[in-house]
Amino acid sequence: MPVEIGELTFLEQLAEQFDIPVPEYLTADASRSEIRTALTRWGDKGIVKPDILCGKRGKAGEVAVVTTTAEAMKKLKLAATAEIKGRNARTAYLAQFVPSEQEVYTAITYDSRWLSPSFTISMTGGVDVEEIGDAKKKTIPIDIFKGLDAYQASDMLQSLGCPQKLISLLSRTFVSFWDMFITTGMRMAEINPWRITPDGKIYACDFKGVFDDSNYRFGEYGRNLPEYPEGKTELEEDMSEWDAASHRGQAHVADLGGKKVLPILFGGGASTIIIETLLEYGGDPIFLSDFGGNPPYDRMYGTIERCLKHKLADASLLLILGGKANNTLIDITFQAIADALRDYCERNGPVQIPVVVGRGGPRLVQGMLTLRKALEDLKMPYVMFGPDTPITLVAEYAARLADIAGQKLSENNHNDETPTKQEQKI
Amino acid sequence: MRAKILYDLLKKTDRVAVSNITGREASKVSIDSQAYCNNIVGGWALGKGGQKITCGKGDDIPVFANCADLMKGLTPEKHPNKIVVYSPPQAVYGDVKEAITYSAGQIETIFVITEHVSVEVTAKIHNLAEAAGIDIIGCNTLGIINVHDRTRVGAVGGNEPDESFTPGSATIISNSGNMVNTIASYLASAGIGTSFGISTGKDTLILTPLANLLELAANDKNTKVVILYVEPGGLYEHEALELARSGGFTKPMVVYVAGGALEGKSVSLGHAGAVVEGGATSASAKAAAFDEYFGNEPLDIDKRYRKTAELVSFLKKGIRVRSLHYIPAATQLVFRMLGVERDTPVKRKMVLNPWFVNMRDWGKQIPSRLILTPGKAPEPWGGQFRRLIKSELGASPSRRTMKNLSHASSNDGETTRIHGRDLTELMAKRSFAEAVILYWTGEEATRDFEPKLVEMCLIAALTNGPGTISAQGAKLSASAGNSPNTAMISTLAAIGEFHGGNGKLAVKFLANIFRETSLLDPYDPNHGLDIGAMAMETARKFKNTKDARKEAGLDYERIPCLGHPVFSTKAVNYDPRERVISTCMSENGVYNVFLDFYHKLAAAMLEVGAANKVWAVNLDAAIATVWMGIAWPRLRDRSITFDRAADLAFLGFALGRVAGGAGEYLDHRDFGTPMDMRIGTKETTALTSPRPLEK
Repeated sequence: MPVEIGELTFLEQLAEQFDIPVPEYLTADASRSEIRTALTRWGDKGIVKPDILCGKRGKAGEVAVVTTTAEAMKKLKLAATAEIKGRNARTAYLAQFVPSEQEVYTAITYDSRWLSPSFTISMTGGVDVEEIGDAKKKTIPIDIFKGLDAYQASDMLQSLGCPQKLISLLSRTFVSFWDMFITTGMRMAEINPWRITPDGKIYACDFKGVFDDSNYRFGEYGRNLPEYPEGKTELEEDMSEWDAASHRGQAHVADLGGKKVLPILFGGGASTIIIETLLEYGGDPIFLSDFGGNPPYDRMYGTIERCLKHKLADASLLLILGGKANNTLIDITFQAIADALRDYCERNGPVQIPVVVGRGGPRLVQGMLTLRKALEDLKMPYVMFGPDTPITLVAEYAARLADIAGQKLSENNHNDETPTKQEQKI
Repeated sequence: MRAKILYDLLKKTDRVAVSNITGREASKVSIDSQAYCNNIVGGWALGKGGQKITCGKGDDIPVFANCADLMKGLTPEKHPNKIVVYSPPQAVYGDVKEAITYSAGQIETIFVITEHVSVEVTAKIHNLAEAAGIDIIGCNTLGIINVHDRTRVGAVGGNEPDESFTPGSATIISNSGNMVNTIASYLASAGIGTSFGISTGKDTLILTPLANLLELAANDKNTKVVILYVEPGGLYEHEALELARSGGFTKPMVVYVAGGALEGKSVSLGHAGAVVEGGATSASAKAAAFDEYFGNEPLDIDKRYRKTAELVSFLKKGIRVRSLHYIPAATQLVFRMLGVERDTPVKRKMVLNPWFVNMRDWGKQIPSRLILTPGKAPEPWGGQFRRLIKSELGASPSRRTMKNLSHASSNDGETTRIHGRDLTELMAKRSFAEAVILYWTGEEATRDFEPKLVEMCLIAALTNGPGTISAQGAKLSASAGNSPNTAMISTLAAIGEFHGGNGKLAVKFLANIFRETSLLDPYDPNHGLDIGAMAMETARKFKNTKDARKEAGLDYERIPCLGHPVFSTKAVNYDPRERVISTCMSENGVYNVFLDFYHKLAAAMLEVGAANKVWAVNLDAAIATVWMGIAWPRLRDRSITFDRAADLAFLGFALGRVAGGAGEYLDHRDFGTPMDMRIGTKETTALTSPRPLEK
């Protein structure tokens, strides 16, 4: 999963190391006298910003220009509790105000058009890149082995009409920007804006970056990154640690805030379309999950154990659904699900919600019989489909059933274990 | 692109080499691939050179230490032209570089299956491959399949590609590997086969973009329609549509774009779009771009489409669907309107077909429209279920590492348990035989009489006199001065298939006869089976086989546990130990269908002329039938494996006999003289004449 960082982490951990000029700053724990001294040095003008993994802080009204110590301290407290688009600030910081006559936009990312990194510059900085017209920005591919050189940057600046006196300094600084990007294993980095003072100094005045956690270079930086109060659910926290513990089989979960279907899903593609179908037909899925990738038994058991522990009590239907697996051994995954369900019921008592199952793939029949036996033993109502029924039809059925199940659960919360087994034709 | 048509990416005559082939997934998939198309010529794995991947079907695969060795070790006609990379993420760059270095000029395509390859490495291998004129599919691809040539690389189609893929006219290009398979199955049910199934991979960079693949599909004579499964991220689809608009691709497309409903939710989906590429990478932007190109709304599944010139002109470009299972209907519409024939007859409708249903009380509470009637699992699954449920006895549990795990016992530091039951409670409330039944089967005895019968079997197995070879084992060990545990091992070591182990054969013998019957309760005399007739049929079959083999001068397989060397002198013979067990059963009103069968079989053997007297049903048979009585319901409900059931009879004998061996050891140790079991030289006879050593 991508790992994001914001401006404060850039200021604290990266800018100096990679020789990228940045304004001075103080963190929220600075003393009154430190703030006073700094403001005096900065010409009595600073900017208070929340440290939050979200763009458009200014538009959200969470960035404030301050001129006095008291004002700075008050705004720092407020900014440290900011919330933008459901994301929370970790802390706040006070940065030096940089007077500027020119703002520049830059970004480095991997680009699907060239299948390589690309570098974008616009002399219209400080706004969203999508708001900048094509004529006012320039993107070039970067040779992954050679990297960005100052001549390429210089050509771009020239073509964008950059004042001549700035070209040399900006070009060299952009090479440092590239150096940071590639050395730390990032997949995207944006400095927007660079502010250029009237006396020709440049400062990187905002930053956002995304690391590629599959890149070994990220390792040493990733270990020191701050944690944000992301409002992750307990399950998400638990699963994120569990997912990171091994690459054998995925254990991705993203909370959707739903209340009905607990979806144990397999395969990235299948998971997406199943969740979409559940949403469309009122299945109100609790989370998005992807547990494919041929997990071994222990991995699968641990994954399901966590899902059940955190969410089964809230669910009105358990959905176990995936497409026709190419690789994942169904008997292993279903055995692990069956065992995790048995253990859950042994610890927490019987569960009466219906279970809808749909799957295909290697050793399906053995897996189906194993899971069916567990559901019979646990006296749980169930419907099981094979790969001849489209997953979207199964998801639609599960959504409709979950709706009824939710109503029945709230009306009728007693435990009647009399089975009414229907005939099976195989 | 090096390839000019899809066929260049994969064809029947291609020779495939696999990196990290000894890895868990790589070896399994390679074995499946050999069974399907036998196109792998070799593989390499660091430090594993000289090994071989043994394939049940297809050629075994030689393993080399690295790519250079592979090129040296294989004859030129076997040099690979396709490479499949299964290396761990850290090794992908090195392996691709190695493949390019050592097989430059021969390699046409590299398929990188590995997940979690960094985007930096992905960009680097693209750079290397492009310079070498090699195409890369991936990273994170599942592979591709050429259905007309019945050949594949990677795991497309799983272990049974024929289940999903029939040759036909659709080429599936999907960001999701799993969806290639799933969509092919859907199409097949609608009578539309597949030409190529291509998993592009879904990392940030897709190294063979959609536009390139469409150019190849444009030149594939078998491809009449392209099915696209699209996820958010990247500008690949926009580039592909530019190609189509410029006339570079003119075949119809049926498109499903996933991820639209999840837009705005903070979840990560599909291959991540880069920020600079902007909003055009979203699912909704891609869907809109396709709709604009097609000039038409997405398929309305409830609409009756009438053929008009306008509709035909739209469908020549294609149509988008809003749900995955509309793909077959949309493809059929395209075919009908454009006058393209289906590849095969329609197999089945795309409807809910539940294989198993048991809604319990829910069935009474939910609206009738949601109550499903169990359907029928189509082939090949139906046959597999029938075989597993009816013919196969016992459980087929999945295997796992059991190093630190046990179902049989546990000790949490406070309580020792056997299958969850407290050992001290068992000591206080149960007999040894009851505890053994629990330990061996996982559940307590289901009938009151079972522990008693097991105990009788244990006593009977203690000894049949000091001359039995198992007793001799203990005596030999005592005579040599061994410790008691060694003497008990000697007893056990002298038990085998002929002595003591016949019960295991009896269980297999009985299982073969009874597995096809409807027998559920072996203690129910009203089982509805004609045991006499079954015994006669078994006796006749035995006699026919015996006669035929004897006439041919061949040995024949005996019926296990019938007859005894001592109890064999009368017209009707009995093993007195079996009699005790049998009498105990009848006195307590216990019927055992397997023992009944054995006695009827002994009589039938005389009747058909397979024996000249009624042979004794011996103790091994009695033990086997007692344990088979315990095991049978557990085999039927698949809670124990068949191997376990067969072992129970053997272990039942061995447990009794090892205690008997201990008795012989104690006696011999106390009263015997050292080495008194030795046979003097004069009592032995040489069967070989003295001969001088050759030089």
